[in-house]
Amino acid sequence: MLPGFLFLALGAFLVLMWGCVGPQQYVRPDVDVRKIRKIAVLPLESLTTDKNAGEKIRGLVISELLASGVDVIEPGEVSRVLKDLKVRSLKDITVEEIQKIGERLNVKAVMMGSVGAFGISRGITASYPEVSVHLMLLDTSTGNIIWSAWNTAGGPSFWTRHFGTEGATLSETARKVVKETIDALF
Amino acid sequence: MDLLKKYALTGMLCLLLLGTGCRSSMPSFHIRQDVDFGFIKRVAVLPLNNLTSERFAAEAVRDVLISELLASGLVDVVVPGEVTAAMDRLGIRSASSLNTEQIKSLGTALGVQALIFGSVEQFGMVRMGNISAPNVTITLMMADTGSGSIIWSVTSTGVGGGFMARHFGARTETMSETLLRVVKDAIRTLANY
Repeated sequence: MLPGFLFLALGAFLVLMWGCVGPQQYVRPDVDVRKIRKIAVLPLESLTTDKNAGEKIRGLVISELLASGVDVIEPGEVSRVLKDLKVRSLKDITVEEIQKIGERLNVKAVMMGSVGAFGISRGITASYPEVSVHLMLLDTSTGNIIWSAWNTAGGPSFWTRHFGTEGATLSETARKVVKETIDALF
Repeated sequence: MDLLKKYALTGMLCLLLLGTGCRSSMPSFHIRQDVDFGFIKRVAVLPLNNLTSERFAAEAVRDVLISELLASGLVDVVVPGEVTAAMDRLGIRSASSLNTEQIKSLGTALGVQALIFGSVEQFGMVRMGNISAPNVTITLMMADTGSGSIIWSVTSTGVGGGFMARHFGARTETMSETLLRVVKDAIRTLANY
């Protein structure tokens, strides 16, 4: 009776301590995404009050892709092509524009997406970082979404809430989210 | 001893009932029974109507919705920019008041069997007793582009701080986690069908 109760209590404690969110991803079944070794990362849309959140996360995405052994087109080169093609809004980018970008940059896929949360949120007893990103990989020949992942990290940890220990910083949380998401792909 | 066990069990049941509360987290939904959803292979998610004071609420929900629809394996989703371009071409300014003809035209232009549109009603922190918790409410509808009629509609809501958070200091969800749960709950009504 007692071991069973202890087991139950331990389970409840673990559930209270940790959340269970990881990257939610989709991989197009008829495409071998892992074979793509060269990508252009378009500027990410910032859906937060921090206007630079998109650029900050984009930098991390590029770093993680490079660390995974994927070749990434220079951001400056991407900006130049976007300017040449007169792409005004990245959230409204069309298949035709994606195909042109692919042709100009000589890449089989472009990565785009958005940053849904990037900042410090206020909890009951503690403030905590919160970051969420949505990344998509688009095939530049068809314009189809071949990979999509949404991921979030942050929130007050058990030790921060109850014992006031120092939690992860915003930068650490952002890096964790991006690393988890890119690792899910490559 | 047996009596003590009974009291303990009753007490635990009461606690569980209090913990889950009376607010059902099950979304309220409607599915047209005479429609075969198997024929829907590709959908377009239109820009959602933002009924909150949060500037980016609609875009944030739309992104999670697209990601979750894809991750569920139920359907393929059209690139968001292509949807905006098609709406511009057809002179559709708002996705919140589409008529049957517009639904059919958009379906033809985008090569999809269904359109998903809707609104974000709540997206922010709410005060619950002594704590603040994230609150998200969305309403989604799916229209068949062949007939132009609504074949699925769902209202899903979620609050990040439950009984355990309010009274025992358990971890509250972040806004992003609540948003993900609300969208997942909504899609699950379609996936379970």
